[in-house]
This record gives sequence, C-alpha cells and structure tokens, in this order.
Amino acid sequence: MKKAFVLLLALVMVMSLASPAFADSVTLNVVTSYGGDDGNRGNFEAAVKAYENSTGNKVNDGSATSNEEWKAKVLTDFETGSEPDVLFYFTNADAEPFISAGKVVSIDEIRAEYPDYATNMKSSMMAVAADGKQYSVPSSGYWENMFVNKAVLEDCGVAVPGPDYTWDQFLADCAVIKEAGYTPIACSLVEVPHYWFEFMVMNNGTVANHLDLPQNADDAVAEKWAAGLNDIKALYEAGFFPANTLTASDAETVELFNSGDAAFLIDGSWKVGYFTANAADLNDFAIAFVPGKGERSASEAIGGISMGYFITRKAWEDPAKREAAVAFVSQLTSDEVLSTFVTTEVTALVNGASPEGLNVLQQSAAEANGKITAIAGAVQDSLTAEARGDLFANVQNVVTGKMTAEEAVASAIALN
Amino acid sequence: MNSMIYKKKSPLLLFLVPAFAFLFVFLYYPFFQNIFNTFLKIGGLGRAPEGVNTPWYENYQRLLEDPYMRVAMKNTLILIICTVVFQVGIALILALLVDTIRVGAQFFRTVYFFPIVISATALGLMFNLIFLYKGGMVNQMLLSLGKLPVEIKPSGKMIVQWLDWKDQAHFLFTMLLPVMWQYVGFYFVILVTGLNNIPEDVYEAAALDGADGWKRTQFITLPLLRNVLCTCLVLAITGALKVFDLPWVMFGAGMPENRGWLTGTYMYDQTFNKMNVDYGSTIAVLIVVLGVVLSNIANRVFRPSEDL
Repeated sequence: MKKAFVLLLALVMVMSLASPAFADSVTLNVVTSYGGDDGNRGNFEAAVKAYENSTGNKVNDGSATSNEEWKAKVLTDFETGSEPDVLFYFTNADAEPFISAGKVVSIDEIRAEYPDYATNMKSSMMAVAADGKQYSVPSSGYWENMFVNKAVLEDCGVAVPGPDYTWDQFLADCAVIKEAGYTPIACSLVEVPHYWFEFMVMNNGTVANHLDLPQNADDAVAEKWAAGLNDIKALYEAGFFPANTLTASDAETVELFNSGDAAFLIDGSWKVGYFTANAADLNDFAIAFVPGKGERSASEAIGGISMGYFITRKAWEDPAKREAAVAFVSQLTSDEVLSTFVTTEVTALVNGASPEGLNVLQQSAAEANGKITAIAGAVQDSLTAEARGDLFANVQNVVTGKMTAEEAVASAIALN
Repeated sequence: MNSMIYKKKSPLLLFLVPAFAFLFVFLYYPFFQNIFNTFLKIGGLGRAPEGVNTPWYENYQRLLEDPYMRVAMKNTLILIICTVVFQVGIALILALLVDTIRVGAQFFRTVYFFPIVISATALGLMFNLIFLYKGGMVNQMLLSLGKLPVEIKPSGKMIVQWLDWKDQAHFLFTMLLPVMWQYVGFYFVILVTGLNNIPEDVYEAAALDGADGWKRTQFITLPLLRNVLCTCLVLAITGALKVFDLPWVMFGAGMPENRGWLTGTYMYDQTFNKMNVDYGSTIAVLIVVLGVVLSNIANRVFRPSEDL
C-alpha cells in the first residue's frame, strides 16, 4: 500500500514536470474598454478564453466601460504603480502621461526581441506619440454617426435622413416628431454630450479644420466651439432632448431609443453590437447621417482608429510576464481575431479584415459608410483629461443658461 | 493579584507599538502629508508637486469662494439633520415597538438590520431602478394610481409625463431616502441592545406604581436609554459627514445641475476626476475639521449622564 502511494506520488510529480502549460503558467493583468455594454465584449471574452486555452496562462480581466471616470482611473493606476500588464487604451493625448513617464514599451523595443510583433499592421496607421515613437498595436477603428429608429420616423411620416440632410430639415423633422409625442433626440447631456459636441463643432467649421484647438478664448476656433455649444442649447430649449436629459444616464436614453420612444441617437460603431443583442426587431433601426450645416455636408463624419494595446514597462521587465504579454497582444490583434471584432469599422491590418454574416444593422452601417465623403477624428481626444472633463461638465450649465458658451470654452482652454 | 500582572510594564509595549506604528504609517502620516499637500500644486494622484500655490493659501481662499462647495456644505448639513431626526428617530420608534412584543422580536431585528449587510453600490443600483424615470417602480405605481398626467395623441400614442425623481425639486428626497433606509437598522440594533440592558425589576416596580404604556416609556425607558441614545447621535452625525458611496452611485458628479454635491462626493470628483489633488486635499481637511467640531458639539450637547 505504501509502495503504491509512493509510486502514485512520483507519477504525479513527473506528470506535473512534463506539463509546460502548468509549469510556465502566468497570470496577466489586462485592462480594456471591452467591459459593460460594449458591443465587442463577447468577442473579447472569447478571444481571451482562446488565449488562455492555447497558452495555459490566466488573464485577470479588469475591463470596464470607457468614460471619463475610467480614463482617470487608468491614469491614476499608472501614477500609483498599480498599472496592468497589458492595457487597451486611447492612443492620443490621453496616453501621453504614461508614455512620457516611460511606463509603456515602444514597438521598436519589443521588435528588437520579437521581430514579428505587430508586423500584420500598417505602420502608417499606427499612432505616433509626442516623442515620435509608436507604442500601441491598434485594434479596430470606430465611426460616429446618426442611428435612427425607423419605426418612429415612419409613424411620424419623416423620411430616413440621407447624405444630403440639412440642419433646417432636421429642425423641422424634430418639431414633427415632438408633436407626434416622441422624443426627437435620445441623449444624456449630463453624461455623454460629446457626440453632439463633435458634430456641432464640425457643423460650424469644416472637416478639414475640425481638429484645430483653440489657443485663446477669442480666436476663430474658440468661436466655432462656442457656436457648436449654442446649437446644442437651441436643441435643448426647443425641447428636442429627453425631458430628463440633465439627470438621465446614457443607458437610460439609449433604452428610450431602443424601446421606440425616441427617433435619433448619435453614437459610435460600438453601439451596433448593443442593438444587435438588445433590439426587439433589428429591422426598426438604421444608420443614417448627422444633419449638415454651413460648409459641412451630412456625409462628413467622425471616425478613425483611436485605441490600441500597450505593454507596460512593469510587465516587460518581468521575465515571467514578458513573453505572455507579447503573445497576448499578438493573438488579440491577429487577422483572425480582429475579423471577429470588425463589422464595418476601419482596421490597420495589412491584409484587411474579413467580417462575415453582417446583420441588417451592420449592413445599414456599411451602406452609410460607403456614402461618407470625408472623415475626421474626434477633437476632444486632443484635450487633456482636465480640460475635457471641465468642458463636458459645463454643457449642462450652458444649456440652462447658467454660463455662456464662450465662458465654457474659455474655462476649458485655461485647463488645456 | 491584578497589580502583580501589570507590575512589569515593558511587555505591554510589544503589543502597543505595532498598532501605533500601523496607525502612524497609514493614518497620521498621510493625514499630515494631506495638510501639507493643500499648499502645493498637484495635477494628479502620484504626480510630483509642481510647486507651492500662489498665494500659498489659494485653495483655502477657493474653498470660501467656490459655489459648489457651498452647495456641498448645505446638502451635508441637511443630511446630518435628517440622519439625526429620521435614522435615529425611526430606529428608536422601531426599537421601542419591537421591545414590547413577545413573539417575533428576533425576526424584526434581522429584517431591520438586513440593509446594513448589502453593499451601498448594490443599494444605489437598486434605488436607481426604483426611481427610474421611465418605467421605474415608483413611477409605475403613480401611473397605476392615476397620479401622472397622460395624454393620448391623435395617432393613438399614449404620452406619460413621468416624474423625474432626480430633478431639482425631488433630488434631495431621492438621495436621502436610501441613506436613511440603509442605516436605520444599525441604530435599531444598538438601541435594542440598550433596551435589553434595562433591568426588568425596574419595570416591575414601575408597574406596581401604576406606570404602564407611554408613561413607562417616558419615565423609565427613555431616561435609562439616554447614554445609548447619545452614542447613537454622535455616531450618526460623524457618519453623515462620511456618506459617499450611495449618493455617488445614484447621482454621480453633482446631479442635478451641480445641486447634488455632498462634501464627500465633491472631494472625490475634484481628486479623481478633475485631478485637482491639492484642492481635493483641502476639502478633505475641511471634512476632518467639520467632523471634529461637530462631534465635539454633539458630545457636549448629548453628554452621557454619569448617574446612569
């Protein structure tokens, strides 16, 4: 009996030594924005599972919904030394604090040891930091445009907006929709005013100068921003936003749109997945165009690639985690995995993505994107977190008349 | 015998020093560092200070001029008053009622204490659903009772004017109710324990003298419960100053229209969202000062009787 036990123990020990998956198992701490109701949450979780199964490593998934609070938390984690091993984050000015602090590793440094790292990406489409280096491997891009509830529009006798949709037509349509008892625009001005801000700023300028930042409170860009805020105020005063737009969450107003009580919603490509999962009838929804004003045509939109995977210095300098982190990013940004994330979004893949089986809403998005004539990134991404937080927190003060649009812009500029 | 045990004092240090060191590192050092930070310019947690503010008392000056800080102070004082009146008041009534029943007392103790064990975040999400604008529990009840205006459009669409429980007219009620509800059970348990400590023979003697019902409560129970009540009031006042999680989950950054700030939520927003670490530190100092001052006042006003 004793001999048999010793033999069994020896067998277990030999087997555990022979199993590299267990012997080399590493736990990676990963933070991404694929949490909450992100349309790609399921795809991300499936990709993580596949990585765990193929490598034997474990992933501590700290994903959450991307908003200003999440961005602040990520930056705080870097500043307090509790950053993750791999981070999926914005590649613009938001990333500069931890890039300039040397807390993430550049692509060149990684390629010195892993020459094949991110070679499936077009270098020209990878974000370049202020120091001229590339740090992140891009995932799928994004677009922002107008979602419409076709059932509501039909009930009100309003046509689905086309690429030549004008601001005056939009105001007239909103009045008709309101009169019919529906909410024209689903938007929480207290939580996500930035979608409307971007398009209203572009409506008072052009797609070419959309990314210009105001240098002082009196320059032309500041005037353009103030005019955009005043357009939002005009919509608020006309009663086109939900009655509780200053107290509602984004989730509440999206649900208002989803349940057939609101007609228009400006949101991003990530919301397609939400409606695919939650709409009672996907045929009721379509992707249309944000009304154009002045020099901007409705066929000009917001979009680009704004996020990517960073490997932190902490993980890179940990011999146990270095290879696991590189393998994780490589697998999550492979052609096969990215093709599951993409439906209608742009990617930086050299070979392009090959999405399959588009549903009716994704097909609608593809058709709308086919009619887009020009695209610009979101100008808010060039602001510091402090300036952006201040600007969007003051939208409610502007629409209620507690502050002028000019004062709100000046306040944000002072913090940038 | 006891004096022999404690004759050699040095071993006591072995037990006292670790606790003191822990408190020094994790409480007193950060506290004094926090006061120092209020005079510096710090643009993010963990970031090195960019220098001393000009003037050095800039944050304290801003504290006096900041309109949102005034809002936060006003709301926090309302919260303190409501805590004393409703949390301790309702807990006292419930404790007196439960103390008088013979069957089911344990059941009620468990039921009233239960909200304490639920996390504030979960409670916040639950009350968000209860007070939801469209289709929330309260609004659905009001609709079924015919208390909400309803309009039928020519197209046949029914338009309900839902009540916004988070607007300027209702936000205080919506914010305070869950906070009151959550902690009633805490004071209830303390007061029930206090009631159980009142000797039964005092009641028997009072009964012989003809005191029962309200007279028994007025002349026996409440005076003998005075010290426990004083403890509850001090705990309630200092506890109200620290309320943060539940209002934050329900109202976030000052909703509605910057009228919903509390000192705790405003400090958090300034520190973690606005990255004004030095100003957040200044608000934290104010919270500590308020806590010390108010608990001292409460201790003096509700001084426990030495006769009991």
